[in-house]
Amino acid sequence: MRLAAYYWERTKRQRPAMAGLAFIIFLIILAVSGPFFTVSPTQVNFDEKNIPPPGFTLEQSIYNASSGGFVTTVQRGTWEHPLGTDGMGRDMLAMLISGARVSLLVGLLATGIAIIIGALIGITSAYFGGAMDSVLMRATDIFMTFPFLLLLILIVYLFGSSLTLIIMAIGLTGWTGTARLVRSETLSLRTREFIMASKALGASHLRIIFYHLLPNTLSSIIVLATLSIPGAILAEAALSFIGLGDPQVASWGNILNAGQGSLQTAWWVAVEPGMMLFFTVLAFNFMGEGMREAFEPGGD
Amino acid sequence: MDSENGDKAILSVSGLRTYFFTKNGTVKAVDDISFDLRKGEILCIVGESGSGKTVTALSLLRLIEPPGRIVEGKIMFEEKNLLDIPISEMQKIRGNRIAMIFQDPHSSLNPVLTIGEQITEAMTAHRNLAKSEAKAQTIELLRLVEIPEPERRFHEYPHQFSGGMKQRVMVAMALACEPSVLIADEPTTALDLTIQAQILDLFMELRKKFSMSIIYITHDLGVVSELADRIAVMYGGRIMEKGRRDDVLKNPLHPYTRGLIDCLLSESEKLASIPGTIPNLIDLPEGCIFHPRCISAMDICRTERPGSSKIETEHYVYCFRYGGR
Amino acid sequence: MTPLVEIKDLKKYHPLRQGYIFSKRRGEVRAVDGVSFSISEGETLGLVGESGCGKSTLGRTILRLEEPDSGSIVFRSEDITHIKAKDMKWWRKEAQMVFQDPKNSLDPRMTVGNSIEEALIIHDMGDQKKRERRVKELMIKVGLEPDLMARYPHELSGGQQQRIGIARALAVNPKLIVADEPVSALDVSVQAQILNLLADLKKELGLSYLFIAHNLWVIRYISDRVAIMYLGKIVELADKKELFRSPLHPYTEALLSALPGKKDRIILKGEVPSPVDPPSGCRFHPRCPRRFDRCEREEPELKDICKGHFVMCHLY
Repeated sequence: MRLAAYYWERTKRQRPAMAGLAFIIFLIILAVSGPFFTVSPTQVNFDEKNIPPPGFTLEQSIYNASSGGFVTTVQRGTWEHPLGTDGMGRDMLAMLISGARVSLLVGLLATGIAIIIGALIGITSAYFGGAMDSVLMRATDIFMTFPFLLLLILIVYLFGSSLTLIIMAIGLTGWTGTARLVRSETLSLRTREFIMASKALGASHLRIIFYHLLPNTLSSIIVLATLSIPGAILAEAALSFIGLGDPQVASWGNILNAGQGSLQTAWWVAVEPGMMLFFTVLAFNFMGEGMREAFEPGGD
Repeated sequence: MDSENGDKAILSVSGLRTYFFTKNGTVKAVDDISFDLRKGEILCIVGESGSGKTVTALSLLRLIEPPGRIVEGKIMFEEKNLLDIPISEMQKIRGNRIAMIFQDPHSSLNPVLTIGEQITEAMTAHRNLAKSEAKAQTIELLRLVEIPEPERRFHEYPHQFSGGMKQRVMVAMALACEPSVLIADEPTTALDLTIQAQILDLFMELRKKFSMSIIYITHDLGVVSELADRIAVMYGGRIMEKGRRDDVLKNPLHPYTRGLIDCLLSESEKLASIPGTIPNLIDLPEGCIFHPRCISAMDICRTERPGSSKIETEHYVYCFRYGGR
Repeated sequence: MTPLVEIKDLKKYHPLRQGYIFSKRRGEVRAVDGVSFSISEGETLGLVGESGCGKSTLGRTILRLEEPDSGSIVFRSEDITHIKAKDMKWWRKEAQMVFQDPKNSLDPRMTVGNSIEEALIIHDMGDQKKRERRVKELMIKVGLEPDLMARYPHELSGGQQQRIGIARALAVNPKLIVADEPVSALDVSVQAQILNLLADLKKELGLSYLFIAHNLWVIRYISDRVAIMYLGKIVELADKKELFRSPLHPYTEALLSALPGKKDRIILKGEVPSPVDPPSGCRFHPRCPRRFDRCEREEPELKDICKGHFVMCHLY
């Protein structure tokens, strides 16, 4: 545990990483507490459609049936909807927070699945070597050649688009990089004398894998995981953007999709989720890079 | 520039200090050392890891990289203080007048160039030579360092050479410009026993043939006893004792030198050993840096740094037991 | 004296393969090629050789960290050449290893105390409290402050790390310790400390060592008997005093001539040939200053010249 404290000390020195971490923590708090202070993100209200954020105005020509002509009305932003509303009058803040929940869920769970599969395959492959290594690594190679997004689209197309399925699909297709990294790390660890020493003590394979190999690859796994979270988030957003996301939930990709049509008028509907995606991806990348620096051996 | 006993020194180092300014503090890797190298002699600098012997060698060529810096001192070579001349002039001296051989021959050679190309390059870097002339001289050099079939080996790549052969190539490369001083940093440590003997033989041969001046850096007293004309024993960045080989090995005065020699040569039931471990160079002990491990430390050793005491011609020791003020 | 461990005609070849799926065997490295010797209770056998002569492989094969190809390893009349994984734990308690690079032989993410304790956990030796007491005891035994147990390897000096490595090996109360170049990565002044420690422990605990080194002064200090290995074979084996006084094999002679204080140094020509394709006849003949016709054709046997002085050479 003193080792963890040591790495924390070193990560703390990385400014961008700390900024990233702050943003991520903010996002998590928002995602968790959001439902308690916002209206339902799915609540449709056509009377309040396309309200801009406070401080902005939107001129709209509305056909007035009683006067039989077009009237120009000016929509003003109100603090009731601090980030405005979309074309169906849904509250943007509520939707973005719901989107944050979806993105974080996808990012963390899908990456978690990918990392676990990748680490197990990588370690097994390198530790046992020989035929096991050949088979597993060839399988990884073949898996890697599939276009990732196409595969996702195919899965969603075939099995429907629930969030659970999307998370599973992203996780199950995203492990190849981890497998390769963990394999190469394990290969170099395997020849180190402390592994031989454990064997000489009579340690079982499982013990060597879980007590020695895994802890020693953990720092690179954590870095890689942090750096692959944005990929998973973007993959979900991309699926949603092209209309293959889970229609039941408001995710950033969905909103972006809905907002692109009215970019000329209600620009905030597309820009806001876009900014959220941008900053979230940036935050995870900063954090991953910072940790990579901090975990660099002998970096003192 | 006369050396300590009146002989002409080809290279004379005095008061050299090389410090590394790291985040965790200043590492005094070399801390006020002085020695001379005379024409045609082999000076062995002996020390354990962290004694500053390699930093000394790099300082002589001004190859110290930041955060390291030569803080103070004089390195007189061919009437010039190497620490005063511009870097462009220093580059003309490196490899040309003073050449260096490193410990690991495997990483010192470029794997994508042939052996011949690399030696020729070293040769033409400082000398104006026709291509055919350079090749002829390179083959001559390979023959000199006893590489069999030099004409064929000229066109081969480093991976086709064994460790011992690579080290011979490194020697050939160092000799390419006929330097007057050769610095060898543990050139046989990475090699096998019987190969080590061959390379040592080569060094002695070179000294005899060309009366070359060699600074040979090693931790191995066995090598020293074979090779050295004179010895400087380093510990924690300072010289503890220096003198002619037989004076130092047969009549070691400094407790550290004695300890080292006892470790190696005692045949008694129990090995003599020096208690404790090598000091941390950031946090050096006060006074004589060896005092925490010294069996005959006195009060003064804990507070003051000993100077040199001349015991006999050329035999100097830095210890209060022998004066040292 | 009854031998503690007896090795007969042990062979270990490393196959050289090319390709990974349709791999072809492209010959083999004859790392250990027919080695026989025994180690008595309480004895230290020094094993000397240059890099690549197979001495480390030999040590590991005896411990069954590598599978022998043929021959036998007998420990106290128990044949352990082919014992199965489930009996291996017993053998791991009898024979332990100390490694060359102390820094590398400790898990950098484990405190050194945990590294020692691991041996006790694997062999179910006592509960948490008992184990902790034992770890402290072991640390004192190897000359370390027990407080150091909470440190990580990088916080210790090389000598201290090697002491931890020794404590870990001693944790299971082994009878035999294979020490593979245990001091060659250490500084000279620290080497002597570790050698003294090993010698003291041997006396105190009645251990036997197979002590592998390339450094002759280390071997001369620690060994009772010395075996010289060249290209996978033992070429000479004798009592230490006998061997250093009157080496018989030309290779041993050359090696010993390099010791400080010796006058006429014998410089061997050429290099150690590849163990993939060792020379015909006597493996040393291409470099031997005293070879004759027969050496090229016929491989000599390891013969007992007088009272346990074995040599593999046609000269005798």
